[in-house]
Amino acid sequence: MKLAAVQEALPWLLHAAVATLWISLAGIALGQVLGGLICLCRVSRHRALARFGALYVSFFRGVPLLVQLLLVYYFLPYVGIDVPPLAAAIGSLGLASGAYSCEIYRGALTAIPRGQAEAAQALGFSAPAVWLRILLPQALRLSSPALVNELILLLKASSLISTVGVTELTRTSHTLAAATYRPFEVYLTAAAIYLAMNLVLAAAGGLAERRLAAGG
Amino acid sequence: MSGTPAVEMRDVHKRFGKLEVLHGVGLTVHRSDVVCLIGPSGSGKSTLLRCINFMESYDSGEVRIDGRLIGYRDEAGRRRPMPGRDLQKMRESIGMVFQHFNLWPHMTALGNVAEALVRVRKLPQAEATGRARAMLARVGLSDKETTYPARLSGGQQQRVAIARSLAMEPKLMLFDEPTSALDPELVGEVLQVMRSLAAEGMTMIVVTHEMGFAVSVATRIAFLDRGRIAADGTPRAVLHESEEPRVRQFLQTYHERNSF
Amino acid sequence: MDFSVYLQYWPKLLSGFGETLLCWFAGAAFGIALGFAIALLRRLNIKPLQWLLRAIIEVVRGTPFLIQLYLLYDGGPAIGLKLQATQAGIVALGIYGSAYFAEIFRAGFAAVPVGQVEAAQSLGMSSSTILLRVRLPAMLVAIVPALTNMLIILSKETVVLSVITVPELMYQMQSMAAETFAAFETILAMALLYWLMVEAASRLGRAAEWRVTAYMRAA
Repeated sequence: MKLAAVQEALPWLLHAAVATLWISLAGIALGQVLGGLICLCRVSRHRALARFGALYVSFFRGVPLLVQLLLVYYFLPYVGIDVPPLAAAIGSLGLASGAYSCEIYRGALTAIPRGQAEAAQALGFSAPAVWLRILLPQALRLSSPALVNELILLLKASSLISTVGVTELTRTSHTLAAATYRPFEVYLTAAAIYLAMNLVLAAAGGLAERRLAAGG
Repeated sequence: MSGTPAVEMRDVHKRFGKLEVLHGVGLTVHRSDVVCLIGPSGSGKSTLLRCINFMESYDSGEVRIDGRLIGYRDEAGRRRPMPGRDLQKMRESIGMVFQHFNLWPHMTALGNVAEALVRVRKLPQAEATGRARAMLARVGLSDKETTYPARLSGGQQQRVAIARSLAMEPKLMLFDEPTSALDPELVGEVLQVMRSLAAEGMTMIVVTHEMGFAVSVATRIAFLDRGRIAADGTPRAVLHESEEPRVRQFLQTYHERNSF
Repeated sequence: MDFSVYLQYWPKLLSGFGETLLCWFAGAAFGIALGFAIALLRRLNIKPLQWLLRAIIEVVRGTPFLIQLYLLYDGGPAIGLKLQATQAGIVALGIYGSAYFAEIFRAGFAAVPVGQVEAAQSLGMSSSTILLRVRLPAMLVAIVPALTNMLIILSKETVVLSVITVPELMYQMQSMAAETFAAFETILAMALLYWLMVEAASRLGRAAEWRVTAYMRAA
């Protein structure tokens, strides 16, 4: 164990950690849009839509993320689309995140007592108004702890995109480990950075949760 | 040993954090006594009962079973916790029946009764099963031997729980509100079993709200109020002759609640 | 799409599948054993030990599996830990899983109703008997869903082992993809295969759950 090796690697790793954070945030943002849409499909009364939603969730939760990543990575050129690996990686994280977010939203929706929507309907609220004013605000509040948890999962999962050549924390540590012949120190430092990011996220999530609970 | 009380509590104190639940309780129970502990909720009845087999530790005072201090031992004048093994040995002869039965859901009725015979008494499986069968027969549940607790009514579960304790041939039985969790129509079958135990001379201490049972079966009633024994005597003495205002108030509330 | 390539590669795929199963079983067994040991140690009332175990769990759960794998396989020799790829893969899966299994067991122990334990204590049972005869059976039933879920997660993590050249199914698939230039078809087949396996496994898990909880259902 040499501290010099850690000191040398640290600036590079911190720089790469910022990339990891952005990629994860972009992935989860995309995941929220997809997750919301898939969730609407899943709870839809149209059987085909509901079936599609269920299949989507089962596929993206059942197939290992690394396989999904390569699938997207190979699929795009296969159909003649040329996008940079970074975009493919974020897209792929978003697809997976969509499946998990969908289930989080669905769980939150089922946790809202049925009577609330019925009460709104009885007062003459239109269907979109019921969604916008009654269901969505509560679903968001109920699902926020699970979403922070998902962001942490995604942050860890994003390490896999290093295998398709996107420069982020894991990729950079891999390169540094080979260049410095100090893999132990480099990976340990990278692990500490991941841990720190996750602890900060978890703490922020806890804070937000208490705020929301107090506000509700 | 005939002169030694079955249970002797002297100046027992117990606190949960800042809350003192027992303020120097003294209670003596002789062999074949049936003592009913009554009193308002929160008065410390269950805590007192649980101190007797040291399910709850007490902070000061003494609880003696057949003259032997439970839970602690003296070492050069200082009180030390009793070794687990010794405590287990003492508990073997003190049966306890809980409000919520606490049967083990993964064992059949017969399995529940035989378990401690095999694991604690170290009886061979066949002998343990035989004795467990006899105990289930005694509480009238011979036809439920292979049934799991989830498929038994509350009353049946409580009778299995009593059989489980009886199988160990205890010298003393503790009942912690044994009928409080039961639907009214199931209370009778459990009280019937307890009545027959009392008739056979079992030493029993019963925390209960069943005044009818207390009056007809108890040899003594102890009234607990805010961690102290406020009255202790024959059912007649406590329920009809006591001048203690707390007792009168409790009985009045009880009658009002049950007069409808 | 041309799936005929699989005919010629099937022995490699078969051995890759075997390797996947080996890593999965061995890693899960190691992880469960380690996780159970951690959960038991956490029950001892030794404060420094509890902090240490809690910290280990946080570290393992707060870092990506891939980093842990690199640390063990590439970084291990620096601290005198030289493992072959498959060995490193199994150990890494086990360590990774143990943190989650430990939490599952802890939650399981917490889920055992106090009264069931008190009943055993009142009959004079020793703590070890109570652990074996009352706590464990009650706990195991409570944790079946979480346990199967974690086993499925571990089965998905095995594909990551391909990164350090463990010759499991993903590794074989990728080398085949490179040789045949049918990359997309190969990965698609891999995805479908996994999807099928995970679906089957979760169905098995639900069936197992139904079975082990049978006695808890009223007629």
